[in-house]
Amino acid sequence: MKRRLSLSVLFSLVLAAMVFPPVTQAKDIVVGTSVALTGKYARTGQEQLQGFQMWVDEVNARGGLLGQKVKLVHYDDESKPETGAKLYEKLITDDKVDLLIGPYSSDVTMAASTVAEKHGMPMVSSGASASEIWERGYKNTFGLYTLAELYMDQILDLGKSKGLKKIALIYENTAFPRGVAAGVKDKAKKLGMQIVFEEEYGKASTDFSSMIIKIKARKPDMVIGGSYLPDSTAFMRQAKENRLYAKIFAFAVGPGLPDFGQNLGLDAEGVMGNTQWEPTLKLPGAKEFAEKYKAKYGHEPGYHAGGGYGAGYVLEAAVKKAGSTDPDKVRAALFALDTVNAFGRFKVDATGRQIGKPAYAVQWLAGERHIVLPVEAATAKVVYPFKDWGKR
Amino acid sequence: MELLEPEILLQLLIGGLLAGALYALLACGLNLVFGVMRVINLAHAELMLMGAFGAYVLFTVFGLHPLVSLLLIVPAIFFVGYYLQRFLIERVVGRPMLTSLLATYGLSIILINLGLLLFSADFKSIPALQGSFLIDELAVSKPRVTAGLISLLLTVGVYLFLERTRLGKAIRAVSEHAQVAAICGIDVRRIRMLTFGMAAAMAGAAGVMLSVIYSFWPGSGVDFIQKCFAIIIIGGMGNFVGAFYGGILLGVVEAFVGGFASTQWAEAVAYLLLVTVLLIRPTGLKGVARA
Repeated sequence: MKRRLSLSVLFSLVLAAMVFPPVTQAKDIVVGTSVALTGKYARTGQEQLQGFQMWVDEVNARGGLLGQKVKLVHYDDESKPETGAKLYEKLITDDKVDLLIGPYSSDVTMAASTVAEKHGMPMVSSGASASEIWERGYKNTFGLYTLAELYMDQILDLGKSKGLKKIALIYENTAFPRGVAAGVKDKAKKLGMQIVFEEEYGKASTDFSSMIIKIKARKPDMVIGGSYLPDSTAFMRQAKENRLYAKIFAFAVGPGLPDFGQNLGLDAEGVMGNTQWEPTLKLPGAKEFAEKYKAKYGHEPGYHAGGGYGAGYVLEAAVKKAGSTDPDKVRAALFALDTVNAFGRFKVDATGRQIGKPAYAVQWLAGERHIVLPVEAATAKVVYPFKDWGKR
Repeated sequence: MELLEPEILLQLLIGGLLAGALYALLACGLNLVFGVMRVINLAHAELMLMGAFGAYVLFTVFGLHPLVSLLLIVPAIFFVGYYLQRFLIERVVGRPMLTSLLATYGLSIILINLGLLLFSADFKSIPALQGSFLIDELAVSKPRVTAGLISLLLTVGVYLFLERTRLGKAIRAVSEHAQVAAICGIDVRRIRMLTFGMAAAMAGAAGVMLSVIYSFWPGSGVDFIQKCFAIIIIGGMGNFVGAFYGGILLGVVEAFVGGFASTQWAEAVAYLLLVTVLLIRPTGLKGVARA
């Protein structure tokens, strides 16, 4: 009898739940993304996610978007394009998200953007900068980053002004590093500089000694890497071991992150790189964001965190302008938008490629990362040439 | 072509030998375990990373130089291995190969995720022992030469231990035929614990050495374990000396392929070598065909 009673209670509860769905809130606006939480791009992917998460918290504290709460759904793409593509398919068809944020790295974005395009979902892409992404006639990928091809321009100009001629160029064999390399080759040609060494390497490469020995024999004035964090760190370390010297060492991504200095110690000194953003830039809310980020996560935000945060504000501006989360309206709003947030200006051309944001060059000086170019934004004067290993 | 200058060839050779010594240290441990108990330890590279992260923690928290922490980490990981054998691996010795493969694979997944939990997926490296010794024009990397020599020392030390001591003889006896060894009064269980402990300690030492050469994260093991498999097949399954030769060979060939072709090709070399050896000499360099 008792058992039957409890069963019937259970049954009526189930029935009640079916008839009266929970009345917690109006429908949330769900934003979906995949980022690298493991694998080669984990460090930067995680920062991007944390930056974006801060926007989610802020917008909800302000009462949400269009009066609705914003909810974030995210997955780990393991730094793999094929996993990224699967996850975006899942986000769109399974989780039925309202809005999309791009993954980290040009490599994974290439794959994810194809899925977004297929479903006609606009995707705000933080963390992607290879121009290849915007050369496929897609209408749904909106970039935040300055293009990879422009990364090394200022550093090459600097080299030219110092009379340097010979460049050694190395890069990972994926979309973004190849973009950086293509930009370097283009610019070098314009400046009349010569590429004396060029080699691609795999995503998993950790040992560059043999490559460095070859570079050494060509005696380059500048060594430029289309790289990420682990490879640029390993390369500099091994450059010292093999006494490779050049007047300028410059790498994509790595030197723009605090880890570069932590992992290399004093050997980071004088290495140049790029940044999409620094807390010292005069942008509305940049300083406040950096302080809040540090208080929450215990370390300074790098530009990847800034990008994630900025992507949130771009999305917010677009949805407000569109007045809904309807993909067609949001897409139109993103194309028309010209706005400045804590990450910088957002304005895209007809392909969705970012054209409003300038590039910045950084250099490691006395254990800290400083913007050195362009001069208007600089927090320190560029130090030239790179100090030889024997004289440190 | 500038590559054929003797200076560059010598530089490549030295780089290759040093990298090879580290491979050898790692692969010899793996082969030792296989030789004694016919268990392929898929968690071998994770034991190595345990050493690397141990050195990282001791360096960042206590400022201990990796060479000092080597003295602490090697015995510590020996005991990890000793008790892993007692409580886990012992149960799968003598069972079908798949059982031990699954058990050690599970162990490696647990260790990787424990690592991710404790250290996140960020790449770490230790800023110690940087730079190089200059011998005239020749630059010899400090971390690599230290790692290479220590690896060599440890590998040769373990070899001599196996060849010259009573305990070493017992280990070889168990490797030859466990049942006969047991009849002769050898405590086979204890020998297995000792062997696994030694192999783990070798992996741990390789990990400490690795921490001053490469950047690593909890998932780095897979690149190393794959190369190790190639090495022990090239050298001969279960043969300690074979794994040593295999390791050195791979290091040198990788360095030269990296120099003459590209770094990308260098990464494929282990497997090309593997296929070649299997075609020409299926038992490996030092292997003996076993039924």
